[in-house]
Amino acid sequence: MTALAHIVDGPVTSEVVTQALATPAWRAGREGAHTGAIVRFDGVVRRMEVDASGEGRALVALDYQTYDPMADRELTALAARILETHALLRIAAIHSRGRVEVGATSFVLIVEAAHRAEALVAMEAFIDALKVDAPIWKRPIWA
Amino acid sequence: MTVQVLVFGAIAAAANAHSVSVAVPSSPTVADVLAALAAEHPALRFALPSARLAINSAFAASTAAVGPGDELALIALVGGG
Repeated sequence: MTALAHIVDGPVTSEVVTQALATPAWRAGREGAHTGAIVRFDGVVRRMEVDASGEGRALVALDYQTYDPMADRELTALAARILETHALLRIAAIHSRGRVEVGATSFVLIVEAAHRAEALVAMEAFIDALKVDAPIWKRPIWA
Repeated sequence: MTVQVLVFGAIAAAANAHSVSVAVPSSPTVADVLAALAAEHPALRFALPSARLAINSAFAASTAAVGPGDELALIALVGGG
C-alpha cells in the first residue's frame, strides 16, 4: 500500500503527474493482480466563480496560497488516513501552489483499490477532508 | 502577554494583514487566543466558528498551552481543490 502526496508550484500538468508516479515508492507499491479499479480526479480552474457580492464573475486564474510546511504534512497525513480507512491499494494526491490559469489543473487525485465502490467513496472522502484539513487557500484573479 | 497569529486567505483579506496580534493572559491556551481574536478583531469573527488554531504547524486542541516563541496560525475552513 502506498500513499503519495505533493504540493507543486504552478499547475499540475501531465508531466508533473507522470513524474510523481515514476517515483520508486509509487512503483514499488504496485499491487498488480489485486487492483480492480483506478479512479482519477482532475480539479480544473473554471472560468466563472461567485464573487463576494454573490454575482458570477469571470476569472483569469486562481492563486493558491499554502501554509508551509503544514500543507504538505496535512496532505500526506490525509492520504495515509484515507488509504487505511478505505483499504486502498494506492493513493496519490498532487496540489498546486501559486498561480494556475483558467482551464489548467490545480489538483489531481488518483486512487487504486480492489473494487470500484471503495475507490469512489475514498475519492469523495479525500476531497471533503482536504477542504477542511489542508491549509491551502485560493485567491481569485478576476478578469 | 501579546502573541502574533498568522492569517491567510479571506481572513488575511479581512484583516488587511498576514498576521494579527492579540493580548492574552499569562500561560494562555488555544481557547484564550481564539477568545482574544474575537474580542480584539471584530472583522475576523465571521471566520472564527469554523477556524482552528495551529501551533508550530500542527492543529491544536482548545486546551493546548501556547508557549512563548510558538508559531500560531489561524486555519479557517476555506480549502483548495
